[in-house]
Amino acid sequence: MKEPNNKRGANILWNVFSSMKLTLALLIILAITSLFGTLIPQQQEAVRFAQGLSPRLHQFFELLGLFDLYHSLWFRAIIGLLALNLVICSVNRLPTTLKLFRAPSRPDRSKPFEDLPPQRNFLVERGIEDVGNRVADFLRNQYGRIVSKSTPEKNYLYAEKGRYSYFGVYLVHFSILLVLIGGVIGSVFGFNAYVNILEGDTVDSIILTKDMTSKRLGFSVFCEKFNVDYYDNGSPKEFRSDLGFLVEGKLAKKASLLMNRPITFGGITFYQSSYGSIPGKAYLSVQKEGSDLVESIVRVEIGDTFSLPGSESQIQVVNAVSNLNEMMGPAALISVKSREGEEIRFWVFQNIEKLRNQYPEAMFQAPRMNPSSFKPYTFFLKELESRFYTGLQANKNPGVSLVWFGCVVMVAGFFMTFFTSHRKIWVRILRSTDETKISVAGRTNRNPLTLEKELDLVTSQLHKLLD
Amino acid sequence: MINSVILSYTTFVYFASFMLYLLMMVMGKDVFGRLASILTIGALIAHTSAIILRWIESYQFDMGHAPFSNFYESLIFFAWAVVLLYVLIEWRTKNRSIGTFASLLAVLIMAYASFSGVDSRIQPLIPVLKSNWLITHVITCFIGYAAFGIAFCLSLMYLLKKVDDPKRKGILLKTIPDSDILEELNYQVIIIGFVLLTLGIITGSVWAHSAWGRYWGWDPKETWSLITWLVYAAVLHSRMMRGWRGKKMAILSMIGFFCVIFTYLGVNFILSGLHSYAT
Ligand code: HEM
Repeated sequence: MKEPNNKRGANILWNVFSSMKLTLALLIILAITSLFGTLIPQQQEAVRFAQGLSPRLHQFFELLGLFDLYHSLWFRAIIGLLALNLVICSVNRLPTTLKLFRAPSRPDRSKPFEDLPPQRNFLVERGIEDVGNRVADFLRNQYGRIVSKSTPEKNYLYAEKGRYSYFGVYLVHFSILLVLIGGVIGSVFGFNAYVNILEGDTVDSIILTKDMTSKRLGFSVFCEKFNVDYYDNGSPKEFRSDLGFLVEGKLAKKASLLMNRPITFGGITFYQSSYGSIPGKAYLSVQKEGSDLVESIVRVEIGDTFSLPGSESQIQVVNAVSNLNEMMGPAALISVKSREGEEIRFWVFQNIEKLRNQYPEAMFQAPRMNPSSFKPYTFFLKELESRFYTGLQANKNPGVSLVWFGCVVMVAGFFMTFFTSHRKIWVRILRSTDETKISVAGRTNRNPLTLEKELDLVTSQLHKLLD
Repeated sequence: MINSVILSYTTFVYFASFMLYLLMMVMGKDVFGRLASILTIGALIAHTSAIILRWIESYQFDMGHAPFSNFYESLIFFAWAVVLLYVLIEWRTKNRSIGTFASLLAVLIMAYASFSGVDSRIQPLIPVLKSNWLITHVITCFIGYAAFGIAFCLSLMYLLKKVDDPKRKGILLKTIPDSDILEELNYQVIIIGFVLLTLGIITGSVWAHSAWGRYWGWDPKETWSLITWLVYAAVLHSRMMRGWRGKKMAILSMIGFFCVIFTYLGVNFILSGLHSYAT
């Protein structure tokens, strides 16, 4: 007794999923939910937004995955439903389409000739047989295969083009599945990562974006040089990293990485994505009060400690920045520890002369800004080396070729659906008293205007041929 | 720069065409329509040459690139595509009433480009924009947008025609084609727009993939182009639902165009994202 019930249940489901109403509903729902995702800050940006929410609202948002809407389960479920809808709809319609595709040609139909506009008929003074042969040759020439049916009084000829156009819609829908499957493959088997490489450095692992964990590459990447070219107006023209790829310490490939020109090595594709610099060694000079002589010049890395002759204090460069407060230029933070353990810290600027003109003198009297804080010495920053690093994306996406293939299929499907059509053409030849009447009619599944033009053309060509 | 001068004159000529098309509809005199068509075609030629000149000028400034790379250039190309598509439709349908709406759309876009402080200087291409995919992306997107713009005009005309009482024989709407023709035309133009939008999204994805290593990132601009695409996919499917032809399709198509405008402008000004080259 259970079976029919089950069957009915399945039937209802089948009907729901094969309905166009559902498609329409899903398309609109998907559009509206995507819209919400652009209004609510997502992922990284969500953090600040979330802090402004009340705890309960925050919880609600969290629960619905609204801070990462496009990766939430329910958003994917909607896409999944659309895919299911698409498959079932296609399967459901396939028999009808196949029937249309396989439908036998029927040359002797009279319906298309009803309501025929007058310009699609003309008379010639030739015998019906002669006309029949000529028309058949013409149609065969233009359309390939023809089907005919003739009696001494009437001769029907039938030709057609574009029967395959019924499948365009299937290609379009199939292509959407391909793109979705490609996306799933990419997100399951691929990864996104990044890595910064200092000029002259080599790395053998990258950082996964997903959870910020490190991943070994299985080979290493060496950055020989990073270079930025500028236009005259100062905007960047080209970013270039000269990279080397090493397998077990041996150079396997050398290449320049440019923006928009990724490089693939070992299954991982590298993209030029950012750059930056970190301060390298600082050149400091020290002058003792009352003497014109520069006491010494030291070249130190951040963290290095040194001492001055005749002084027991430990001097350390604890920090260096290439542009302090975004406007004060290169600066190094010096820490001086006396033997008693007292510490003073102050900034030393490279452009001190310029800064003194620019800012009130009092500013450089403050101990933290005064390069003479450690009496009796005055420190100068002669130069701050900077080391460029290149920021690379390192991604692997095994689904991407399927996505591109899907895109090509989609475009091909569009062309088949929208710009081709199944055009059937009938030519009827009637014997009347001493003339022969020729009529041209047609039917199409799409673009009726194109067919009208085609019929006009065929009529005028036949007229010329038979005159 | 000579191209900007030509473009400002072109804007005024489009405005003149709009007035003439409108006169044609109000007075029911064909002369105005014919005059409007001549002006429109003339302005289109000027518009085209300005774009080419701008291209050449960019090489003279030694930063040569196709003129489709900043907000101003995209607006100019958008307007150009609207007029070009309209001229083709006028030639195909032999109906000029669409011109009133299409030329107004073109005037609005051009005026926005010229008078609202949009930076019209030729700027050098920053590295991320140096890609042939970007050029195809911009061209396909904006011709698609233009088709949707025309579809918006046709939908508006369709609704006006429906509102108008046929017994009153309002002279203004007499020149508008019959609802059936409008609907079919609307559908055809939406198809053009949909195919080009699809190509635009695909080429944009290919570009994003080569520039940033991902073909889809749910950036607001990308998401809005998807929203637009979904709305027009709904429009196409709506034709196959009984009773959804005509009015409902026209309304959906207008919603679609609002999505286009939002994708284009709203995202730049209201939401932020990678694409916001407008400042
Ligand atoms: C994002 C998803 C979709 C896109 C882009 C899409 C695209 C298209 C296109 C371009 C057409 C041709 C429209 C026309 O001839 O005017 C079409 C027709 C059709 N679609 Fe979809 N489609 C989608 C999803 C679906 C789904 C989920 C279904 C399942 C019910 C479906 C069912 C149909 C049907 C039955 C037709 C009509 C075929 C015909 O007789 O011409 N579509 N679709």
